[in-house]
Amino acid sequence: MKVQKMERPVAASDEGSCKTVMSHICDSLDEDPTSPKCVAIRRHLEECDACRDYKASIEKTIEWYREYDAPLPEGAHERLMARLGLEDA
Amino acid sequence: MEESKLIERAKEGDHAALATLVKKYEKTIFNFAFKICRDRDKAENTMQETFLRFVKNLKQFDGKSKLSTWLYRIVVNNCMMDARKRQRRPFVEPKDDERDFEERFVADRLSAPTATVENDELKRVLDEAISKLDPSYRVVFMLRDVERLSTEETAEAIGVSEPAVKSRLHRARSFLRNEITKAFQS
Ligand SMILES: [Zn+2]
Repeated sequence: MKVQKMERPVAASDEGSCKTVMSHICDSLDEDPTSPKCVAIRRHLEECDACRDYKASIEKTIEWYREYDAPLPEGAHERLMARLGLEDA
Repeated sequence: MEESKLIERAKEGDHAALATLVKKYEKTIFNFAFKICRDRDKAENTMQETFLRFVKNLKQFDGKSKLSTWLYRIVVNNCMMDARKRQRRPFVEPKDDERDFEERFVADRLSAPTATVENDELKRVLDEAISKLDPSYRVVFMLRDVERLSTEETAEAIGVSEPAVKSRLHRARSFLRNEITKAFQS
């Protein structure tokens, strides 16, 4: 697959802060966006490329798995109904 | 007809109501089973077992939780037992390793491929990553992120605490994201 290679990011000036932000990005995807923690994370994300990319890549990962569907195999419905004794219904 | 009405009728032995319920959830349950088991035949078998148990235990369903959550729980039990039986190599249980975090999570950005899941290469990468992940993490990721259950519903479906759901979700996401990143870097 053709993939766009990105340059390695320059180490962020405050790594401790990045680490904290990254470890909470996951929570921020679920939490109330107005909570103090989420507001702080958002502010950091506005200024930090590395964390922004990290968040985007997590979101992309989730999106791919959501889109990856397995359709019901041919005849599976009929086989299920037969197994349940519901062919007549 | 409302779902609660359908359930009431199905409990009374109404085949048409039962069939309507099965039809309503069969695609969701198959899809979810596939995402946990990663195998079409096993997913179909799990779907059948799930609905058999559904029919058998319907009278015990009290309506306190959603029917879908109840069905998910049956799938999870079925698939996880099966996965543990089949697996020879141990699954990866993601750890919160700080050095790991610095080196891999920060330095290696996910070079965003423009591909969609229609792409076979991407499917292969997604399959491989999720297959490596310990099933107890896999189900949390699938229920929370993919099926969009709440933390509370997920905790209920798999019988663990809400903090455990949060921590597993966090690690599962990072692990999958990392595996995908690695796959596209080589
Ligand atoms: Zn940062």
